[in-house]
Amino acid sequence: MSNLTLALPSKGRLREQAEAMFARAGFDIVRIGSARGYRGEVKGLDGVDVAFLSASEIAQALRDGTVDLGVTGEDLLRETIAPDEPIVDVVLRLGFGPADVVIAVPESWLDVAFVSDLDQVAAEFYDSHGRRLRVATKYLALTRRFFADNGVTGYRIVESLGATEGAPASGSAEIIVDITTTGSTLKANRLKILDDGLILRSEAVLAARCETRSRPVVQNLKNRLELAI
Amino acid sequence: MTGKSSTERRATDALNTSMTQVFEAAGAEFIEPDIIQPADVFLERSGEHIRSRTYVFADPSGAQLCLRPDLTVPACRYHLEQDHDVTAAARYCYAGKAFRHSKKAGDTSLREFDQVGLELFGGDNAAADDAEALALTLAALDAAGVSGYSIQLGDLGLFAALLASIDMPERWRTNLRRQFWRPRAFRELLNRLTGKTAKPRTSISDLLDEMADSPLDAVAFVEHRLEADGLEMIAGRSIEQVAGRLSEKLMDRSEPHLSETHAKLIDDYLGIRCALPLAVAELRELGARTNGEFASAVDLFEARVEAIQKAGLEGGEMEFAAVFGRSLEYYTGFVFQIDRRLADGADETIAGGGRYDTMLKDIGAGTMIPAVGCAIYASRLVPVSEAPA
Repeated sequence: MSNLTLALPSKGRLREQAEAMFARAGFDIVRIGSARGYRGEVKGLDGVDVAFLSASEIAQALRDGTVDLGVTGEDLLRETIAPDEPIVDVVLRLGFGPADVVIAVPESWLDVAFVSDLDQVAAEFYDSHGRRLRVATKYLALTRRFFADNGVTGYRIVESLGATEGAPASGSAEIIVDITTTGSTLKANRLKILDDGLILRSEAVLAARCETRSRPVVQNLKNRLELAI
Repeated sequence: MTGKSSTERRATDALNTSMTQVFEAAGAEFIEPDIIQPADVFLERSGEHIRSRTYVFADPSGAQLCLRPDLTVPACRYHLEQDHDVTAAARYCYAGKAFRHSKKAGDTSLREFDQVGLELFGGDNAAADDAEALALTLAALDAAGVSGYSIQLGDLGLFAALLASIDMPERWRTNLRRQFWRPRAFRELLNRLTGKTAKPRTSISDLLDEMADSPLDAVAFVEHRLEADGLEMIAGRSIEQVAGRLSEKLMDRSEPHLSETHAKLIDDYLGIRCALPLAVAELRELGARTNGEFASAVDLFEARVEAIQKAGLEGGEMEFAAVFGRSLEYYTGFVFQIDRRLADGADETIAGGGRYDTMLKDIGAGTMIPAVGCAIYASRLVPVSEAPA
């Protein structure tokens, strides 16, 4: 059987935490070629090649099938692949990299507590401005799916590639969908999370293409990592 | 499939032409709206959810464009951009491709499909126009050799009129109308309004308690509160709007519940489902339990049924359902849908339509222009024997 390709984060905290967990599980991750190479292998785990990619590329590579396994944030995975698409399974939740994807609105909107309030405010906004309420986010798919499930229709998404939390104050959007771990960045920007505004409770996950899920090497990796959580 | 063969193309053209000829004979101008449309019109009108079904892209200048997801809005835009009095009566028909993403990954069956349709703008007799739009749709299906279908009818105006005839705050009506599209949320809201389920405490309950005890009026209360917290009103809303919604929430706390009688009236209305000729009597009977406003909506409904019968349609095979139209957000009154039973027993929608009186105004007409129309999913009419295996 051909080798599986495991994608691991190539930089940042996610990389450090993933490598630390693999080390605790007794797997040494070795880069092939220079120390900054983009290919590698896992010492102690035969039949697996490693590709180092950015966390968001990992989700896309899993979707495209250019890698078989990957460690990435669940937020990025679910942004790229809907839960009901039979492409990828979450094999194991890894317990690090916690981040909540939430809807946040200006604190000064004293009257808004729920997603249902948002639907009414969106209608009010359209009546008074003749345009839709704008939501700044990098999570286009997660936002659309959540709003559709919760009956909010009168909004537009403004794609945000950084500093999303500044959008309401700068006037480029009215509300945001973003990740938060402690809520302090939102607080500093005078934004509040809606009572029912939790879209996804995310953490780092090991995900596998469905067709590789039952391969012994995947089970082996899962079992060993599970003990290292 | 990578395209149509010569035979298939000719069959499609003949099928589409058989239907547009019916519309042209009824005085409709056969137009060809642009395939590439500004995405904004669709996104602003229908909201973001349409984007997940629409091919949206940017041109080199960054302008957001899309492939038309249906032909009604493009026909409306065509009408508004002509050099004429846009409020005068006009009739259009078309036959062309529409483009949509499938909800299911990998399913490309709907990616491009033929839509044949008719739009009647600016008519002054709603009942007659509604009936004619339906009659012409059936005549077009007949011309295409389609039979053995079922017809469902609804009327979204009746529901609005029923709420108007029940004594309750206008904001409750607005919320009930908005939730009409979503059966589960509608039920939850109705249960809250009747007091069946208690309102839970929320993150703004404390604020409302304070507001209830405050000597300040709502606007002053909000101003005071923002100042105390060092907050500015941002993101396009005014202090008055925030204060207004807080006042409504406060009023809801002391508002008498919606009575069980009225909740039952709403439930009984939503439960009506019968053959069209029987619907008028059922609605009249229900109307006897309301205080009047509902009756004029039933008058319009009755006039429409008469017009449908005058158009030579007996109506016995048509079913009226009060809840029908729940999934069709842009319609404002009469709605209909025509389904055909497939060999495997599943129903497939082959045509649909209805009245959408606010659309032309919303996309820039400046004034309300009555509109009613239909769309036929022509790609689904290809006779089963000729469909590729």
